[in-house]
Amino acid sequence: MATGLIDESVVADTGWNPVLRPSITLSPRTKPSLRQHARAALGLYLIIAPTFILLAIFNVVPFIWAFSRSFYEFEIGESARFVGVQNYADYFHDITFAQSFGNMLFLTLFSMMVVMVIPLTVAKLIFSLSSVRASYIYRILFLIPIVVPGVAVQLIWQGLIYSDVGLINELLRGISRLLHMSPDSLTRGWLSDPRTVLWAIAFIGFPFCNGINILIYYAGLTSIPESVHEAAILDGATGIKKFILVDVPLLMSQVKLLVMLTIIGGVQAFEGILILTRGGPGFKSMVPGLWMYFNAFSFQKFGYACAIGVVLFAVIMILTLINLKYFRSAEDLTATGK
Amino acid sequence: MILTIAAWALFPTRAGTQNTIRLGTDPSHVANFPKDKIIRVHAGAYLPGLMPDNVGTPLQGMNKVAAQFEKLYPDMRIEFVGVPAGMREWLVTQLSSGEAPDIVAVNVEDVWQDVQKHWFVPLNRFLNAPNPFAEKNQPGSEKWWDMFKYPIPTRGTCAPDGNFYCVTLDMIETGIFYNKSIFRQLGLNQPKDWTEFLNIQKRVQQAGYTPMLVDKGAFTDWGVDLTFYQVYSDISDLLDLRYDPTSGDYLKGYLDWDEIAFLKTKGFFSARDPRWVQTWRILKEWRQYMQKTLGNSDEMLKAFLTRRGAMLWSSSMLVNRLSRDRDIDFDWGIFYPPPIPRSFNKFCGGREQCVIGGSGMQYEVTSSALRDTDPNLPFEQRMQQSQRLKRVVAFLQLLATPRNADTVVNEMVQFLPNIKGADFNPRLAAFDGFLQRHYSMTKWIYTFGNQFNETFLRMFDLYLNDGMTEAEYLDWMQRNLDSACEKIVTRKNVDLTPLAKEWDKRALLRKQIKDLPPEAY
Repeated sequence: MATGLIDESVVADTGWNPVLRPSITLSPRTKPSLRQHARAALGLYLIIAPTFILLAIFNVVPFIWAFSRSFYEFEIGESARFVGVQNYADYFHDITFAQSFGNMLFLTLFSMMVVMVIPLTVAKLIFSLSSVRASYIYRILFLIPIVVPGVAVQLIWQGLIYSDVGLINELLRGISRLLHMSPDSLTRGWLSDPRTVLWAIAFIGFPFCNGINILIYYAGLTSIPESVHEAAILDGATGIKKFILVDVPLLMSQVKLLVMLTIIGGVQAFEGILILTRGGPGFKSMVPGLWMYFNAFSFQKFGYACAIGVVLFAVIMILTLINLKYFRSAEDLTATGK
Repeated sequence: MILTIAAWALFPTRAGTQNTIRLGTDPSHVANFPKDKIIRVHAGAYLPGLMPDNVGTPLQGMNKVAAQFEKLYPDMRIEFVGVPAGMREWLVTQLSSGEAPDIVAVNVEDVWQDVQKHWFVPLNRFLNAPNPFAEKNQPGSEKWWDMFKYPIPTRGTCAPDGNFYCVTLDMIETGIFYNKSIFRQLGLNQPKDWTEFLNIQKRVQQAGYTPMLVDKGAFTDWGVDLTFYQVYSDISDLLDLRYDPTSGDYLKGYLDWDEIAFLKTKGFFSARDPRWVQTWRILKEWRQYMQKTLGNSDEMLKAFLTRRGAMLWSSSMLVNRLSRDRDIDFDWGIFYPPPIPRSFNKFCGGREQCVIGGSGMQYEVTSSALRDTDPNLPFEQRMQQSQRLKRVVAFLQLLATPRNADTVVNEMVQFLPNIKGADFNPRLAAFDGFLQRHYSMTKWIYTFGNQFNETFLRMFDLYLNDGMTEAEYLDWMQRNLDSACEKIVTRKNVDLTPLAKEWDKRALLRKQIKDLPPEAY
């Protein structure tokens, strides 16, 4: 519901919801001159200038450089040779192309599903606790594991969970003994078996209770006004029904944010796979980012690696635009009255 | 208050400062010295301050050699530098920016890939000249070459362009470490041939142990080269088409990339080559006796030390750990992979297995050593003109004297000195015997570029783990080899015509050999 007194774009940009807040009448102003505009803006530009310059040097310039290099056959120590779009054409016929994009899609979709369900459920459970102290303690407990570096987590899973003498194989050996089977009849090399490697990677981090994600959902839940809950209860929506029909739609901004971050992370990430399997066995767990890394630093095919990077950039850009356009946030839903 | 306590806790004590182990050279040692008077050395496994396997005391041998050098050349300083993990990436960036250490320790096969970029200096003229630090009338006083104790693997470092880019200070060799207690318990002895070897592994597996522990990369590197040698050595006279006067008889039968590229055009190393097919089948059959996850060497060592595995295929470097670790409560021994008899495979003649290890710390001189010359001059001219290069090489010449090799190499029990007059640690005696054997016929994992290696490692891994059929694997390998050969022939301007002429001369020999690829006849 728009009041007509507030700029709609401001509402959309800030997420400020006029429905839930008292109306404000803006006082009329005289239109500033262009000079006054420029003077006022100059200060602001000066403030953002250091950030912008650093961003340009470390993010924009390398991207432009990489984009231009993607049209060259370029190896360190040798002169570059212009090859047009050959690197792109080669990449689309690369031995890893289909497999790596398939793997990336699988892992990203898996992460998306996980991020949309598990932290949200945990956040709701914590939010529903009647004891404020218990709620606080649980939030802290779920946050503590984030101090463990990601690399350490990968190594823990590799060494303690998935190894030949890791938790899973030892459990399976125990079951085999109980069933009077050969001790190793159920065990496998989880990260070296082509049939299990992708699932094994996907399940790292189980039960996926990422503290930050939980906090983001929790913050969203706390921002839902009590009056909405009361209205829902009056309308007969309680328990899971209220959660699905009331809470979840009002948390779409958080869902949208996390989905976008998960997509970007899913397309870019490769360091975990590099540590765990190096994309193997074969190319069974290869992802485009890792192949880009190998081409750049192992094969010294920098032009080709730049082309892969540009393709990844395009993929992220397209997915982000789709997400922005079609994944509606709570504000969008409120604004359209749905 | 918390900040004060934290600052106090973090402030190093005087005793603590004194006990700090410094990796490499103390910066004050080279402070205020002009850059061109400092020789930067990446000493590899001998980096001062390192403590291999966390046993013993920090290494200091290299510092002693550096002190001698600086006494001889007071205007120069030696600086030892450590390198970060990911050596290859680091080295490429350092070399391309001209900031690489003057001396680096990398596998010479890695150097071969970049020789056309002039990042490394060929050392032939120095190796063929006397070592100025050799005693009169002793090895090295006429030719530096004569100082090296193991000529076969030392000559094995000859690059395909006929140049030597490294000085091999020591030797390393692989061996199968076995748990004698488990062997005794099962009534087993060291195997004499491959059939016996597989039977032992079967018995060990039935007893509930993992018979063979081996790292994935090592298996692809060593396992393939050994099996290839067993299957192909009977026809090496036919295949070795180029006699290299530099490496001479030391590398008789060795296949360089040009020979492989040519032989491939004759159907070798494809699904039509019966020997090639058998090579992979032998390895695949062996796989069943290995651990489920062909993971990294740390995991393998852990399994061996905790008696889960009976045999561990590793290198002489492991002796340092096994012989100094007080917690190891079992006897262990070493044997070399046994020969494959003809009764096991018709292509194998039961020849003694070849050397696959060889050179350990291989020291290369980089183009940084030429920084006293005009970079716009031709590389050859720069090498001739550079006085700094002579100083850099002088450090290697001093290092390669018997006393210094003994000081540096025998500070730990990992490598065997490759310098005549410097004895090896008796605990490494078994490896000395292994190193006297014939050299490998080729090095599949090092001959071509990293892209070939990467694909090879991955597909072999997949094949071993039942992720693809034999036909699929052979197809992958053929495509991978086609691509690698094409790239190398183009980039290195390899002329295959002389090999074709040599091949034609051997028509009669081919007729006498059965089971060659159809195109070979």
